Amino acid sequence: MTSQPTARATGVIHDLGYRGYDGPRLGRMQIVRALAWHSFRSAWGFGRGVKGKIVPALVFVAMFLPALVNAFAVARGNGRLFSYDGYLPTLRIAAITIFIAAQAPELVSRDLRSRVLPLYFCRPLRRIDYPLAKYLALTGALLILVELPLIGLYVGTIASVHGGSAVWDQTRALIPGLGVGVMWAGLMAAVGLVLASATGRRAYSTGIVAISCVLTFFLALLLIQAEGGSTATATGARVAGLFSPFTILDGVRVWLGGSTQDGLVADPGRYGPLYGLLAVILLAACLGGLAARYRKVSQS
Amino acid sequence: MPPSQAPPGPTPPGTALPVFQTTALTKVYPGPVTALDGLTVTVMPGVTGLVGANGAGKSTLIKILLGLVPPTKGQAKVLGRDCQLSGEAIRTLLGYMPEHDCLPPDVTATEFVTHLGRISGLPPTVAKERAAESLRHVGLHEERYRLIGTYSTGMKQRVKLAQALVGAPRLLLLDEPTNGLDPAGRTAMLELIGRIGAEFGISIVVASHLLGEIERICDHLVAIDGGRLLRADSMTSFTQASQVLAVEVEEGLDRLRAELAARGLTATTSARALLVPLGGDDTYDLVRDCVAALSLPLCRLEQRRHQVEELFRDEGEMLRD
Repeated sequence: MTSQPTARATGVIHDLGYRGYDGPRLGRMQIVRALAWHSFRSAWGFGRGVKGKIVPALVFVAMFLPALVNAFAVARGNGRLFSYDGYLPTLRIAAITIFIAAQAPELVSRDLRSRVLPLYFCRPLRRIDYPLAKYLALTGALLILVELPLIGLYVGTIASVHGGSAVWDQTRALIPGLGVGVMWAGLMAAVGLVLASATGRRAYSTGIVAISCVLTFFLALLLIQAEGGSTATATGARVAGLFSPFTILDGVRVWLGGSTQDGLVADPGRYGPLYGLLAVILLAACLGGLAARYRKVSQS
Repeated sequence: MPPSQAPPGPTPPGTALPVFQTTALTKVYPGPVTALDGLTVTVMPGVTGLVGANGAGKSTLIKILLGLVPPTKGQAKVLGRDCQLSGEAIRTLLGYMPEHDCLPPDVTATEFVTHLGRISGLPPTVAKERAAESLRHVGLHEERYRLIGTYSTGMKQRVKLAQALVGAPRLLLLDEPTNGLDPAGRTAMLELIGRIGAEFGISIVVASHLLGEIERICDHLVAIDGGRLLRADSMTSFTQASQVLAVEVEEGLDRLRAELAARGLTATTSARALLVPLGGDDTYDLVRDCVAALSLPLCRLEQRRHQVEELFRDEGEMLRD
């Protein structure tokens, strides 16, 4: 009996071993935020190897370069080179296509491929939380890609203009530009994710995203050209932009008061609401598809 | 020593509460495939083996306990909470190690387990600390900074166990944890699980189709077959029920059996030995007296244990008949 207390005492000293945790735990929404932040970082290649950073960095530089050129031009006395709401649409389409084709699979296909999902769903998350976090992450990443160049354009311009009213003019022009950026980021993130989550094989899902974006865009572009280009006013030209998400977004921009001069599509005229409606339907369909994808995902 | 000090290691809070409890639990998948068929079982804290052949319903039961799959009928409770109503709350208390591969190859074990710690609801610094500790507990030290893709199967199984531990669970659900391991790896994994159960104060449910393997580390066994409960009992009662005395004589096996039967002992023949159910010390005396009375050349008298697996096999056959 005398040996017992000693044994217990050494047991306690020796017990460097396992410790439980009774401290505070994050709520569901905080967990979603943590997952979204983690995914946002990996969309930009942080927490990945050098290889993961190349594509996002190059795309970002390509998008930002015109803003720098503008800063120099304005400093030499020229006017602002690009509009805020129609900031180099073709470059932006290329940049977004490359970005979502490369990074949306990074966010969703990896987890499907390595079958990590059961490890998420056995934790205090609901099924809907995973696609929600991924959507927030990719939207955030795209916002950086489309909005920072606009801010760069704005800062570069106001650095050289004089007078409060000139700055105010620039600010007033910037705000709709930022709004257009939010639309682009929100819709294209949903499109990219739902296409990328179709398969766990990364090369395939990159291909699916890239081909879908490029083909629909060229189809719409071809139709617009065939109907007389972006200055045409025939009904055919007005609705030709409805065939690709990019031209839908541009149509919504023109419908809401943007200029057709910086754009791709013809003035939608009375078909404007159709563009708006289609944008909303496309977003809802993509998000719904994404949610359905993860409601059904195999647990085994 | 007073009995209250007997169990080694910390005792989980709420020891009296069953870790899980199912009532007439039925799960029919479309097909229809009946994975669970009116399963009623109560499992108390400790290390519990969940045994059954492939397709017996083990994985389905685990998924229902995790609140991932709704039961078709019946009820399941984990740590006193209903699985369907409070899935999220339950999943905070559970750690789950799936049967299949579930690790991304291109991150380090530390990063991966830390991230899953965050998803378990741990604050950032706590997640980091607990990830390092969990990986140390499962025996990954410097290797934890390497990419998971470079790991051996054994190390991957350890990472899978570490991610189940990182969230500080009260109950671990391990689905075939020794899958794909070589014999040495199996032994190491089982020792690790045994240690977690004994020293960490975490209740464990280990699903396996290899009874002979997990019986070493279990306090309780639950055997299911075709979605139905075969038997649930403590390990000791299994072993007690299975004690037999093997008697080998060089000749006159039949005469000995007749003699034993005359004195009220039913012996069964197994190869060259007679198996006598072992009641107590007087069984030895009785056998000795019989052998002496017949003056048979006795060459072996040993205590044996039925493989628990055999018992289940018999009961399974009875159930099917």
